[in-house]
Amino acid sequence: MTSFIIRRLALSVVLLFIISIISFFIVTLTPGSPYPWGELNPKISPEVKATFRKKFHLDQPLPTQYAFIMRDLFTGNLRSIKDDRPVMSRILERLPATLSLNFTAILISLSFGTLLGVYAARYAGHWQDMASSFFAFLFIALPGFWISYIVAIVLVKNFGVPILGTQSYGIAFPNELAVILDRIWHLLLPASILALGGFAAQSRYLRATMIETTREGYIRTAHAKGLSEEVVLYKHALRNSIRPLIAGIGMLLPAMISGSVVIETIFAYPGMGRLGYEAVLERDYPTLVALNFVLAALILLGNLISDLLYAAVDPRVRLE
Amino acid sequence: MRTIRLFLYGIPILLIVLLVAAFLNATFLSVAKKNEMSIGTIGEPSTLNPIQQADSASSEVGGMIFNGLLKYNQNLEVVGDLATNWELSQETTFQFATEEEAKKAKSFLDIFARTNHPDWPITSTELAPRTKLIIRLSEPGYKASEAIAQALRDKEIYYIPFHNKSVVTSFLAEPIIHFTLRRDVRWHDGIPFTSADILFTYKAIINPRVASPRSSDFELVSSVTAPTPYEVIVRYKKPFSPALLSWMGAILPAHLLENIEPSKWADFYNRHPIGTGPFKFDSWKTNEYIRLVKNTDYYLGSPWLDSVVFRVLPDPLTLRLAFETHQIDFWNVDPWAVKSFEKDKRFDLFSSSGNMYNYIGWNLRRPLFQDLRVRKALAQAVNIPQMIKYIIYGRGVQSTGIFTPKMWFFDPRVKALPYNPTTARTLLDQAGWKPGSDGIRVKDGKRLSFTLLANNGNEIRRDIATLVQDDLKQVGVEVKVEIYEWAVLLKRFVNKGEFDAIVLGWGLGNDFDQYAIWHSSQTHPEELNFVDYQNPEVDHLLSDLRQEYSRPEILKLAEELQQTIYNDQPYLFLFVPESTSVLWKNSYRLRQPGSKAGEWIDSPITMTKAGWSYNMEWFYRPEYPPKDSVLGNNLKR
Repeated sequence: MTSFIIRRLALSVVLLFIISIISFFIVTLTPGSPYPWGELNPKISPEVKATFRKKFHLDQPLPTQYAFIMRDLFTGNLRSIKDDRPVMSRILERLPATLSLNFTAILISLSFGTLLGVYAARYAGHWQDMASSFFAFLFIALPGFWISYIVAIVLVKNFGVPILGTQSYGIAFPNELAVILDRIWHLLLPASILALGGFAAQSRYLRATMIETTREGYIRTAHAKGLSEEVVLYKHALRNSIRPLIAGIGMLLPAMISGSVVIETIFAYPGMGRLGYEAVLERDYPTLVALNFVLAALILLGNLISDLLYAAVDPRVRLE
Repeated sequence: MRTIRLFLYGIPILLIVLLVAAFLNATFLSVAKKNEMSIGTIGEPSTLNPIQQADSASSEVGGMIFNGLLKYNQNLEVVGDLATNWELSQETTFQFATEEEAKKAKSFLDIFARTNHPDWPITSTELAPRTKLIIRLSEPGYKASEAIAQALRDKEIYYIPFHNKSVVTSFLAEPIIHFTLRRDVRWHDGIPFTSADILFTYKAIINPRVASPRSSDFELVSSVTAPTPYEVIVRYKKPFSPALLSWMGAILPAHLLENIEPSKWADFYNRHPIGTGPFKFDSWKTNEYIRLVKNTDYYLGSPWLDSVVFRVLPDPLTLRLAFETHQIDFWNVDPWAVKSFEKDKRFDLFSSSGNMYNYIGWNLRRPLFQDLRVRKALAQAVNIPQMIKYIIYGRGVQSTGIFTPKMWFFDPRVKALPYNPTTARTLLDQAGWKPGSDGIRVKDGKRLSFTLLANNGNEIRRDIATLVQDDLKQVGVEVKVEIYEWAVLLKRFVNKGEFDAIVLGWGLGNDFDQYAIWHSSQTHPEELNFVDYQNPEVDHLLSDLRQEYSRPEILKLAEELQQTIYNDQPYLFLFVPESTSVLWKNSYRLRQPGSKAGEWIDSPITMTKAGWSYNMEWFYRPEYPPKDSVLGNNLKR
């Protein structure tokens, strides 16, 4: 077990190195270059442009730029082209908002996904199953940005409810409870929409494994023993079907962080997806390279967690 | 089993209950507003250090925290802000071979000028060591000095020209601005504002390590001195009239930044600035908001609002959603939506002609566009009134050149070229482009075809390109439209000057100096005359304009400049869009200092030449009327 983890970590370091090179060249070989002065600005003198390029090593050949960026990344001196602040603190300050949004979304998709999956499996073949399948595929098929815009427009036009950011502004709240509920509203709304696709997919996975499990011999035995339908379903079938779901949690996190760009932009939510999106438009190379690095590290970590969880819930799996 | 069921049903039920409770809370939340103004900005400000910022989001916030020495009033006239008074003058220096000669010149001027030339604005003359004569003039510029030089030569008093590098000049003309500062201004941390702050700000701007976008404004400054804590004297190397406007820029606190390396400012100052303005910086949550609170010690009196919040919203639709839910207090309406808001009684609308115009730049390095007849033909083949009607829903006027109608030096007599495809066809025929077999014109075996570029994400420009393509097809011109992302457009095409034609816009404020855009010396890579326009007459006008201080003369030169460039058609000048802001009806009123000391004028928000929001620090919410105590305080000043 320990040696497995050590081997995986060592492999991850090599992988991260390769990823950093690839991501650097993808980012810098994209046409265009940083121009932090908005539209064409007649006041910017050539000297100012030259100073700017020198400061961020943009006058150097690409391999040298890569070396500078990596050196600065590991000494913590890497600064954003946009606002000249350390890149790591720009990323870390987004972390609480991003994590709370994504963990809420994971919680929603897991809990509702499980419920719907069990329900569909229990009534497999009946109209209840058909209906839940219909909605599951509908949510998988509808693009998140479309649902977001529809929800946003309905809520604003018909109810006049504030939906943007992490809290309402300029309102004199009557008490603390209202403030807390306001925060919860601004978190649950985007999280629910973010969770829609995941929750639908989860329910389909679970339905499939549940149906498979109910065909197993021990389930028939349990029924034969005279156990009630509920006990068989929840205690025997569900427990044995939920393994792939748990193992999938590790992979959900990176997928959701990279997938929340659109939702974050529509709901003006201050997360990492928006940071990355804006950095691409601004050609903020340091931020992009660092962000890719952090995301790659998260994905590798998620993979490792998946494997460990799988071993933990399935005694047949050994990590060697 | 019970636990499994508890989790299985409990968590979803809990989540649904929370969502419903939060929704009800949001719906029925009392709309009691705080005494706070919220403003939406697209895009995050990059820095709140006013000498390092170049984006509009940053300067919008900075405008509330900082003051300059001068500012515009509601009629766009220059008035004092941190300066109570400013005097322009000039020292013109002649040098002579001998001291005798210098003395002769002085006595000649003292007598001759006083009697024969009262129009020369001479205030005094002085002999300087080493055979120099300094003439002090109450008005900067070359004109009077050149007349004096001529008079000296006529009188056979010979001066020696100055050699500075390769440039030879008859005399030195050094304009001077003498600022007198307010004595009642304090920084937000309580330290008094003095001339040391101006000295420091100047040094910081010209410091190459600061890389200030404002540095080009100060290239011609030869010295800034502070004889007393409340006086500043700025001396220039030569007449440069736009210089005065550069003192509208914000002043930085010397006591905080002087001893700190500029590379450290980003961590220390740029995200929690200290200024002198009506609002103090309070907090900044990245990608969410910047909050400012009122400066009760503001030199004109405390603002009525408790705080101002700038909310960072990523796109126009979110801005609208925020406005409709009272999350921001005003919104710039898209042209297509103006009509529906106008009809709605719940809103107040403020429209004004913008400072920005759209154009198509012809790359004059291409032989096709070097023919004026072709450029004129293309201009008349494009139906601009229709463009205004369909792209900006009639919310704008046709552009007639490099200035927009709002500017005081705009020449309304310049008439726009009319839409006339017949004339366009005749002109193209004259230029030798005859219709070919496929309807596209041909000359010497070459088809009349070019690529028109526009940037992604700007729908107006994309629509312009489409309409132009269609209009020009009617007269036998093939246009291929290509859309690129902004960063790509700049690097691959504009900066290198490698394109045929491009849809762009200029928004340039109230500066008449457009040297950087039109002078023939500015055509190198990355410079802004990227269409390679070269006209000696325009070069002269541009140089004269930036040396001219008198308003009537500026007007004359600017009008001539606008006419000349419009006749040359280096751009196809399209239209000046109007910008419209919408507010909830009666959400704000205005109580601002009047012209007399101690006088306060209460009024609804009104449109002025400078816009409706230029004096936002004096806005108040009717539900929070200015308190007598605060007013009393303010009245004492």
